[in-house]
Amino acid sequence: MDTILTITQLTSLVKESLQSQFSGISVEGEVSNFTKAASGHWYFTLKDESSSLSAVMFKQASWKVGFIPKDGDRLIVKGSLSVYAPRGSYQIICESMVASGVGEILLLLEKRRAEFAALGYFDQERKKSLPLYPKTVGVVTSSTGAVIQDIIKTLDRRTQAVNVILLPAIVQGELSPASISAQIEFANRHNLVDILIVGRGGGSLEDLLSFSDQQVIEAIVASDIPIISAVGHESDWALSDYASDVRASTPTAAAEIVSESWLTLQKNIGQVRQSLHLLMQHKLSLLHASARSVNIGRLGELLQQKVEYTSLFSDDLHQRLHQRFDTLLQLRKHSYTLLSSLLESLSPSCVLQRGYAIVTKNKRVISSKHETEVDDILQIHLSDGEIEVTVDHIKEDESEH
Amino acid sequence: MSIEKRLKRLEEITEALKTPTTELQEALTLFEEGVTLSKGIEKELTDIERKVEALVQTDDDTVELTPF
Repeated sequence: MDTILTITQLTSLVKESLQSQFSGISVEGEVSNFTKAASGHWYFTLKDESSSLSAVMFKQASWKVGFIPKDGDRLIVKGSLSVYAPRGSYQIICESMVASGVGEILLLLEKRRAEFAALGYFDQERKKSLPLYPKTVGVVTSSTGAVIQDIIKTLDRRTQAVNVILLPAIVQGELSPASISAQIEFANRHNLVDILIVGRGGGSLEDLLSFSDQQVIEAIVASDIPIISAVGHESDWALSDYASDVRASTPTAAAEIVSESWLTLQKNIGQVRQSLHLLMQHKLSLLHASARSVNIGRLGELLQQKVEYTSLFSDDLHQRLHQRFDTLLQLRKHSYTLLSSLLESLSPSCVLQRGYAIVTKNKRVISSKHETEVDDILQIHLSDGEIEVTVDHIKEDESEH
Repeated sequence: MSIEKRLKRLEEITEALKTPTTELQEALTLFEEGVTLSKGIEKELTDIERKVEALVQTDDDTVELTPF
């Protein structure tokens, strides 16, 4: 006689057989009776024209999905079949799910990605570096979306140094790729900006599709202006992320990248000036010290310079410098005048005017009686002329007696 | 002069001031230049106000901007 099984035994056998044969399967269907339990688990039915399948997605898996399905949605779920013994029913325990059609988009994107990669569009060596201090940033995005607002808000928070030019573009739909690429090309043709941010807000994979379009990718690759791709939220991506020079996870992050150096510069420029002062002071004290070991005259000069230069350190630098210079110049002029009048008073003609005379013999000035003898012919030079005389007597000094 | 060029110059000036062989007179001239440069940059950073403009589509491929 055949073995008689209990219901539990049979159910358990069915469970084992189902679970081992139908694990890690993907199945596509339309959602109905979707319920989100307080526990966070999702219960729903997947069906097609003629069949239906119970489905459950536990909280541990459902929080990763990124959207909440609703009745009528077409889904592709991945999971394993399991048996619910109390009701004798089977169901699929879902581990992941994507909206139907997404699979095709992903396939398409993967195919394009491979093509573009083969063309060298994503090559690291063709990536341009961003200018450190961009003055003007162009944003190719929708004029009504959150992207431009996020970028302006972020820049407002960080620096005023970066101007923004919005290049309005259609960011989804059929007309989008042509619109985006036209703006990238326009910016390049007119060399309009230092950096371009190309982006849009978050959306479904399909919404983001134009940022993976061949026309857009080629415009990005051809751009001489460095491009930051900023598509959607953290987890979103598009092929523009690979083709651009820099990928920003969000438009806000793009604005942060663009303003980073400015922000640092704002923080540091005061310190730069301070270090200039310190270096100059250091230099002066070094010179001061070495001057001490040179000589007194040089030391004095350096001390004076140090006093002058130290006083120049205050903010009205130039003015003081000029004042100092003028004063020095005046002093020099003054001493020059003194010196020249002194020189003049010492000149021979001036002396002669005061009644002194110069005596020469054979055109040589004589200043002693021992340089002459009786009967010598001497010339006496006065301020207005010359007299020729003959020596007839040389007096003896009393001391010579 | 572009901000990059000015910063590069500031760097050169700093280096020159650090060099012991730079003469005092030259050092002073450089120092003045450095102070002027850094003040200029600081002023630029505090005085500027961002312009936000939007490109207006033109048929003849010219640039036309309007405040956004």
